[in-house]
Amino acid sequence: MRFERWLYSIPLRIRSLLRRNAVERELDDELQYHLEQKTQQYAAAGMNAEEARRKALRDIEGLELRKEECRDARRVSHLEDFVQDLRFAVRTLRKAPGFTLTAVITLALGIGANAAIFSVVNAVLLRGLPYPNSEQLFTLQSNQSLPDLEDIQKQTNSFAAIGGITKPALDFIGQGEPVQISGGLCNAELFDALGFLPVLGRAFSPAEDSYGGPALAVLTHGFWMRYFGGDAAILGKSIRLSGNSYTVIGVLPREFWLPGRPVDILASLRVVDPSAAKSRGVHFLHTYFRLKPSISIAQASAEMGNVDQWLALHYPEDNTARDFTDIHRHLLSLQDSIVGDVRLELLVLSAAVGLVLLIACVNFANLQLARCATRQREIAIRAALGAPSGRLIRQMLTESVLLSLLGGAAGLALAALGVRLLMTLTPADLPRIANTSIDTAVLGFTFAVSLLTGIVFGLVPALNATFFGVSAKLKEDTRTTAGGASGQRLRKFLVVSEIALALVLLISAGLMIRSFRLLHRIDPGFRTDNLLTMRLELPEARYREQTKQRQFHRELLEGLNAIPGAQAALVSELPMSGDYLTHNFVIEGRPPLAAGSEPEVQTRTVEGDYFRVMGIPLLAGREFGSQDRTGSPHVAVVNRTFVAQYFPGQDPLGARVQWARSDPPDWMTIVGVVGDIKHFGPGEPEEPAVYDLYSQTAQKWKRWMYPTIRGAASTGILLGQVKQRLWAIDNQLPITQVFTMNEVVAASLDHQRFNLTLLGIFAGVALALAVVGIYGVMSYAITQRTNEIGIRVALGAQQQDVLWLILGQGLRLALVGGSLGIAASLALTRYMSHLLYGISPRDPQTFAAIAFALLAVALLACYVPARRAMRVDPIVALRYE
Amino acid sequence: MSKPSDLVQGTLDLLLLKILTLEPLNGFAISIRLKQVSGDVLQVSDGSLYPALHKLEQEGWIKAEWRPSENNRRAKFYSLTRLGRRHLEREADNWDRLSAAISHVINLKEV
Repeated sequence: MRFERWLYSIPLRIRSLLRRNAVERELDDELQYHLEQKTQQYAAAGMNAEEARRKALRDIEGLELRKEECRDARRVSHLEDFVQDLRFAVRTLRKAPGFTLTAVITLALGIGANAAIFSVVNAVLLRGLPYPNSEQLFTLQSNQSLPDLEDIQKQTNSFAAIGGITKPALDFIGQGEPVQISGGLCNAELFDALGFLPVLGRAFSPAEDSYGGPALAVLTHGFWMRYFGGDAAILGKSIRLSGNSYTVIGVLPREFWLPGRPVDILASLRVVDPSAAKSRGVHFLHTYFRLKPSISIAQASAEMGNVDQWLALHYPEDNTARDFTDIHRHLLSLQDSIVGDVRLELLVLSAAVGLVLLIACVNFANLQLARCATRQREIAIRAALGAPSGRLIRQMLTESVLLSLLGGAAGLALAALGVRLLMTLTPADLPRIANTSIDTAVLGFTFAVSLLTGIVFGLVPALNATFFGVSAKLKEDTRTTAGGASGQRLRKFLVVSEIALALVLLISAGLMIRSFRLLHRIDPGFRTDNLLTMRLELPEARYREQTKQRQFHRELLEGLNAIPGAQAALVSELPMSGDYLTHNFVIEGRPPLAAGSEPEVQTRTVEGDYFRVMGIPLLAGREFGSQDRTGSPHVAVVNRTFVAQYFPGQDPLGARVQWARSDPPDWMTIVGVVGDIKHFGPGEPEEPAVYDLYSQTAQKWKRWMYPTIRGAASTGILLGQVKQRLWAIDNQLPITQVFTMNEVVAASLDHQRFNLTLLGIFAGVALALAVVGIYGVMSYAITQRTNEIGIRVALGAQQQDVLWLILGQGLRLALVGGSLGIAASLALTRYMSHLLYGISPRDPQTFAAIAFALLAVALLACYVPARRAMRVDPIVALRYE
Repeated sequence: MSKPSDLVQGTLDLLLLKILTLEPLNGFAISIRLKQVSGDVLQVSDGSLYPALHKLEQEGWIKAEWRPSENNRRAKFYSLTRLGRRHLEREADNWDRLSAAISHVINLKEV
């Protein structure tokens, strides 16, 4: 019914709209035909032609009025008005290119910055994870061991599937140089939990995922494309990984994605590493829990709580210390676990970029106000000629929305550039950032922001011009004495808020800069220059026995130290690389502690002259020496924090420590104390640490190492020499994570640098916009006061007086805006306290410095127009207008 | 929009639709026919006729086309659509019920 009506009416409306002239002509013709017929009728009845025609016209009771009624009946006048407004707006804007360009650029900056940041927020926070029904996916914050996971599977009923995966490095000899790839050792349920099945071939079945099962591999799409060119014939073939053969049975879809480090190949943990799989104490699995659709998270958590208690009861030594009550075993939605850390960071950036937009909008409103002032006469005349004020407002709104949409379009182009810039700036570990793109959500956001900007910030000047301006304006004489008092007040208010907003941004950026400089100046506790680092991992197949591992260590160090001018050592956990390893430990002679509740220390295993190579100072005792070998009494070196925490006021030298529950006992004598280093990054405190030796440790699974090489040669040459020596010993060993120590340190500050750069850019844009705003308003105010200034000069005011008059006015605005800005900053900067290092979010020095700087810039922006005012010639000024 | 004061709202629509049931007519012909059928009781000015026709066209009840009139001039002819016919039937029923009810009330004997 309704539809049928549209069948008639929609073509009619479109015709009325698009073929306006034709429709008008038809209306004319129709009425004309009527008039002629009627006239003929009257003439036939005996009237003369003239009289007949008049009577016919009278019958119709106002031809134009009737036409208007017919147009109204077609009910497109709103739309027609809009088209008319739009045409008018385009015409007027084209006549004022300076104004148009300024407004569009201003808005483009504000909207573009917002669109760029929004596209990041959208990719990282808003867009759902790429899993089917990803809201059903949960994870545990702490890693689990496979036996614990099996018990959870057996004793819970809430989950459709529970997957676990660990990502060891594997060696793969594809083409040429051996490469290290990222393996994913998992259980068969992982595929169900994540909801991904291979696009080609199949995944391994639960039956195959068993101790002694067949060695099968599932490739990720990227790996398949990279090394096999997407050849489907790979199925059923065998590939060699770390010395073992695996049969390829499947390829995962391109969309397959794992949080954290990407993997190349998936294989069964039980098949590949049965000893690790069976060990309850090895908590190395990331877990993914898929909730059954009918189960609530509360039910699942309650069940998990029961399992936790059961585990603690039955396996206290492995599970007691793993605090069941706290968040470690708390089910966390996968989305939260992935983006939790960066959410606040991105919110701070969003807030900052929002402020930039606000400032841009204020400028936009200001521009329009100034323009309205020059158009007041036009508006007043149109109002006097009968244009209803609603119609006038609508027309000005059309103009403002047109501008804001143009600004939005230009902003989108800026955003596309900005996103590319962001990608080069973003820290590598910002999750899901790679998905950033200008998609429909970003387009929608930009459009909405532009539209809103145009309406809200166009309404203010429009209302101001029509309601307050019109009646006053026609009455006002030709001399602009006070110059539209209400408009001027509004403009001042806008400038004040602009200064306040800019100050908030500048102070935030200032805090970040100071914090970053503090971070940079921090002594890391070792020398970072001329230090080359890289990671090696000995494949288990060829280096299962420790004798082989130790032989490799020895030969490698001999080879590296033979490079002219180079000193080399090995360490298991490189400072600031993000790697760390902890062990429970006991001190000889101290009261025994319950199994599982021993204190934890950072463990770093070294070989060679590590402390000398790194430049870590020896504080007491001795460093490791050539007398410390396999078979000699086991020794350890501890750091200062260790001594402070476990030997306060005592001499640790000669005391003995060992890893908790070592079997057989393996006591290490503390022979030295070294200085603390910033292991966890420049801003993080050091923890108690124990250094032991590769040549003495019983941990034969510690097959990885970071060679650290200090050499005078350039990085490229040194690396070439290192490769040569390394591959002379083992030509199948891949080298990964090759960085200079300075690069490692810089990378540890990636997040700070990212936040700092963006806040800096935003603050810069804000400052520029604010300066333009102040300048514009002051210039305008002076033009308005030219007359008054002329009188003052004529009455004997000196140039200095005029200068101070103007500067004083600017200063008052700046002071009010500045005070508001400081108050707002005091209230707001505490939200960024976690982004700061070493200074309070209310650091008075930063506040004062930035506020004064802004004040100075504001005054400068007033000074230029003030100088113009100073030179006002009273004669010219009095004749003005 | 000015409405003929002595016409109940919507009645003009009804009359126009009714007139067009017989044959397509142009505006002038409709005005003549209106006078013929309603005599002098219902005064519909020429002025209010055209806005009413345009409104009916928008509603999809009548459609218009240009063709030669009897004196071979191009004129705009309106004809009833399927939708308009249905509308007329419904409205005519309503009208019958309403007018019957009203005359019933009016003719009640005062007690």
